Amino acid sequence: MALFAVFQTTFLLALLSLRTYESEVLSEPLPLTPESLKVSVNSTCQCLHLQWTVHSLAYHQELKMVFQIQISRFKTSNVIWVENYSTTVKRNQVLHWSWESELPLECAAHFIRMRSMVDDARIPKPGFWSNWSSWEEADAQNMLGHDPLFVFPKDKLVEEGSNVTICYVSRIHQDNISCYLEGVQIYGEQLDRSVSAFELKNVSFIREKGTNVFCKVDQGGVLGGIVLFVSKVLEEPKDFSCETQDLKTLTCTWDPGSDTGLTKQPSQSYTLFESFSGKKTLCKHRNWCDWQVAQDSQETFNFTLLAENYLRKRSVSILFNLTQRVHPMTPYNLLPKNVGATKATMTWKVHSIGNNSTLLCQLELLAEGKVIQQSNVSIKVNGEYLLSELEPDTEYVARVRCAYTNHFWKWSELISQKFNTAEAAPSEAPDVWRNLKLVSGHPTVSLFWKPLSKVHANGKILFYNVIVENLDKPSRFEVLSIPAPASSTELTLDQCSYQIHVTAHNSVGPSPASVIVVSGDPGNEEVEKGRVNGTEDGFSVSWKPQSGDATGYVVEWCDGPQDLPCVLQWKNLGPNTTSTVIRSGAFRPGVRYNFRIYGISTRRMAHLLEKKAGYLEELAPSDNPQVVMSKLTSRSFTLSWKDYSTESQPGFIQGYHVYLKPKAGEQCHPAFEKTVLPEDSVCCKYTIDNPEQKTFVVENLQPESVYEFIVTPYTSVGEGPLDAFTKVTTLDEYSHTLIHIILPMIFCILIVMIICYLKSQWLKEKCYPDSPNPYKSSVLSLIKSKENPHLTIMYVNDCVPDAIEVINKPEGSKIQFLGTRKSPTETEFTKPAYLYLLPTEKNYSGPGPCICFENFTYNQAASDFASCGHFPVTPQAPRHQLGPLTSPENLLKALEQNYMNSLGEIPAGEANLNYVSQLASPTSGDKDSLPTNPPEPALCSEYKMQTAIPLGLASAPPSENSSLSSTTLLGQGEHCR
Amino acid sequence: MLACLCTVLWHLPAVPALNRTGDPGPGPSIQKTYDLTRYLEHQLRSLAGTYLNYLGPPFNEPDFNPPRLGAETLPRATVDLEVWRSLNDRLRLTQNYEAYSHLLCYLRGLNRQAATAELRRSLAHFCTSLQGLLGSIAGVMAALGYPLPQPLPGTEPTWTPGPAHSDFLQKMDDFWLLKELQTWLWRSAKDFNRLKKKMQPPAAAVTLHLEAHGF
Repeated sequence: MALFAVFQTTFLLALLSLRTYESEVLSEPLPLTPESLKVSVNSTCQCLHLQWTVHSLAYHQELKMVFQIQISRFKTSNVIWVENYSTTVKRNQVLHWSWESELPLECAAHFIRMRSMVDDARIPKPGFWSNWSSWEEADAQNMLGHDPLFVFPKDKLVEEGSNVTICYVSRIHQDNISCYLEGVQIYGEQLDRSVSAFELKNVSFIREKGTNVFCKVDQGGVLGGIVLFVSKVLEEPKDFSCETQDLKTLTCTWDPGSDTGLTKQPSQSYTLFESFSGKKTLCKHRNWCDWQVAQDSQETFNFTLLAENYLRKRSVSILFNLTQRVHPMTPYNLLPKNVGATKATMTWKVHSIGNNSTLLCQLELLAEGKVIQQSNVSIKVNGEYLLSELEPDTEYVARVRCAYTNHFWKWSELISQKFNTAEAAPSEAPDVWRNLKLVSGHPTVSLFWKPLSKVHANGKILFYNVIVENLDKPSRFEVLSIPAPASSTELTLDQCSYQIHVTAHNSVGPSPASVIVVSGDPGNEEVEKGRVNGTEDGFSVSWKPQSGDATGYVVEWCDGPQDLPCVLQWKNLGPNTTSTVIRSGAFRPGVRYNFRIYGISTRRMAHLLEKKAGYLEELAPSDNPQVVMSKLTSRSFTLSWKDYSTESQPGFIQGYHVYLKPKAGEQCHPAFEKTVLPEDSVCCKYTIDNPEQKTFVVENLQPESVYEFIVTPYTSVGEGPLDAFTKVTTLDEYSHTLIHIILPMIFCILIVMIICYLKSQWLKEKCYPDSPNPYKSSVLSLIKSKENPHLTIMYVNDCVPDAIEVINKPEGSKIQFLGTRKSPTETEFTKPAYLYLLPTEKNYSGPGPCICFENFTYNQAASDFASCGHFPVTPQAPRHQLGPLTSPENLLKALEQNYMNSLGEIPAGEANLNYVSQLASPTSGDKDSLPTNPPEPALCSEYKMQTAIPLGLASAPPSENSSLSSTTLLGQGEHCR
Repeated sequence: MLACLCTVLWHLPAVPALNRTGDPGPGPSIQKTYDLTRYLEHQLRSLAGTYLNYLGPPFNEPDFNPPRLGAETLPRATVDLEVWRSLNDRLRLTQNYEAYSHLLCYLRGLNRQAATAELRRSLAHFCTSLQGLLGSIAGVMAALGYPLPQPLPGTEPTWTPGPAHSDFLQKMDDFWLLKELQTWLWRSAKDFNRLKKKMQPPAAAVTLHLEAHGF
């Protein structure tokens, strides 16, 4: 074996000698195999470091060689990388090469080998590869501990947008391992039995504390993880520039962009490097840095700003001349001096730059935020500028900025100062107008004026002076002082003409006077009335030019609706103007505005020229007139709405529509137009095109028919609401005929009644005299002539009562009589029971001569009503009927019997009866009211005209038990002598 | 305001300890210590939520329960119930004191690592409160006549993670620190509640005492 080794060595040496000889002498390339190959792992950068030498080179020989490097993963046959590395090689030189692995090196064993080839131009023939070196293994897994699960790479720092491969190594050889990126499961590729890899593409920054990736064995409690630090990409500084305020210090500024700081990496740092001086400084701030200018008067600077973090460097450079980068400091002490009404002087100071440097300062004057003046002033230290053409009593702002005169780079910051100019007398006369009216018979002028604009007021207006000069009596003046802000006053004048001067006063003095002439005559002259059209812009009012010497025109109007107090407005116009547009924010659609155009004479007196009315926008009427219906007949009726005012409507009333709903099936009258209402009902419409016609007769109607009507006005826009129709029913056709008959009849009756009334005395005398004077009764003559010529008249005064009948009259009792014309049988039951109590029984001296009175007129009535228990007997009644009752026994007997029989029929309250023949009978209602209103004796104490009855007639045969009669009662109650 | 409260609480335990004469005993100190643990418990809930969000998922997930890999040096609050019951007052208080001493030190390290100013402010505030609790426990121990435990030289806990300590493990340690702190606050509340009950004079004795006076 040793012999074999010696032989082999000898052979190789011989061969090498031969090759060397060939290469040196024959200049042929030699295979120089890399030797002493060593591989190390750097986990931080996931790099494999290779180092080797080439021993075969001759001394002092330098050759350019190519090394082909092969890297395999897991096993030598799995080559994942091949790279040719060219370099110049010396003898025994240690060569280095690094390779960064995408897969964390801890997750897989790597194998590396290389071979070489001479690639030098001095060797003309193409070379050939040497033999491969032996495989070198780099296995970082050996460095792991004993944990069951590892995740790699640990705490890696990458930039946003990178692709990162994560892997885990499991020692427990289980499949149920899940990996998560920020709590979201990720899926990868299993590289080995215990190794899986996950590729994260385009990773993004989440938080400074890093992105968490972890793997765990499901339900095993085994967990491993890493934090991946994703840094934002370092940006190149933007807007890098340097400038100086005093030529001593340079201040460089830039926009740093995103902060790339993480807990694993501090924020990027900035370094300023100046190439001419070779100096550099580490900036303390992210976006600016100061640089002290050396005293050696360096004028040109070449700055490089370098930004860097762990992953990247970025730089930006500028080259400039110092004097071209002067940015002066802000001026100071800007003050107004000698401020007048129209002038002011501004003074200010600046910081000096170097020696004898001048600055160009720009002074701007602002009013109400706008620049109105701009001036440039060159100064060294102190600045001063006179501002003129200022407005009195106005607030101004002056501001100043300065720049380096030698080379303009930038304006300094601005310094501002406010100031107010002094007041001046008002520059314009106030705009005055008047309104004339009669108050309690006195001409009264209301003066109005508009506040002066700020431009013309030149200060705060304190009061207005009104001087009233009587033109007819020039010596008389009246001065009124009206404190501001009043804008009107009222003057009571007489019939003279007056010239009124109005001036506005501020603290400095008065304005020019505004003069107006008024006369005591309100001048309600009749002028032309017209209409004016409103547009979106306002009312375009035009008028005829006044022939003569008008010095101007005034258009006057009220801003509000007619029903509100007038806020008088006016507009002054020049003498050559004949039209204008009246604008006001107060104008509203549907409101009538009245405009009056006045011409101003050379005497400054106003004359009314025209009146115009208009609407900004006409609207349809919102209300209908209150219609009064009259003259209703069977065929017509009249409608009237005279109270309807066309002036206060939301548009010019052009007329009226009269709608009439006809009976079903009835056609419209030819004068009407058939129309369909919004609710689809058919209607007849009549159009009245004269707005002043406010009555209308609806004719040709059907009698006894119901019609509905409405009257609605219409404007150019539309008509009023068709909501409340009024119903009307026409009269019966014959009703008025009947009236023609009934009225005369009523008239005739009235005539008769009047005659009767006038002749009532005569009639009374004739028919029913007041006292029962038988001699005056015509009936007497009638009786005398027809029946008993022996009848005489008895005077009441001749009767001497010989007995008093006391009647026990139970309260509320009364006999109900059914009438004298009942049958005798019936009458028996109506006999009064009180007859038992008659005290005349024992004193009865039998029938004696007696004269009774009978009033036939009364009897007739009493026979009907029988209210007094009075039993009337007609002259035709048989005499024998009276007889039996004249005997007390008969009477008692009859009554006893009848009483017993009639108790059940006669109401208890009617059981008593008093007698007496009376003058007048009670009304029939008394009978009905008996149960509750018992008859009072007074009712029965009246007299009647009576007739004397012969005694023989009074003592009728007792066999006749006929009904009771008044005669009987009279015979018992009153015994006449 | 919370800082003022903590300052007051910091000084409170010292008062009864210094004024033992005519004293109401350690009861009020224990009560205040108990109240402080409850307050810190409430404060920690808010702080832990913020800090775990700052660490990111999975540390802020409610069911996250990682193995206690690198947190072995943290004092454990969990203890067998029987062991806990058998602890005497001194040992009980000593364990509390030692635990919070260590936890406070770790917590200050946590504060130094925090990236955001707001988080640093919250952690500093909590550290102040925890310092107050530590002082309160010391006050109770003093009131009961127990000496404070002296730290052994060289065993001062430090917050210097080794180079091999990965950021993920560091986050797990932070997680466990907050979790252990919370468990300790729970345990302390129970400890001081137990002590409080123990220190209360028995009600029957009071009654008898009053009766004796009555007669």
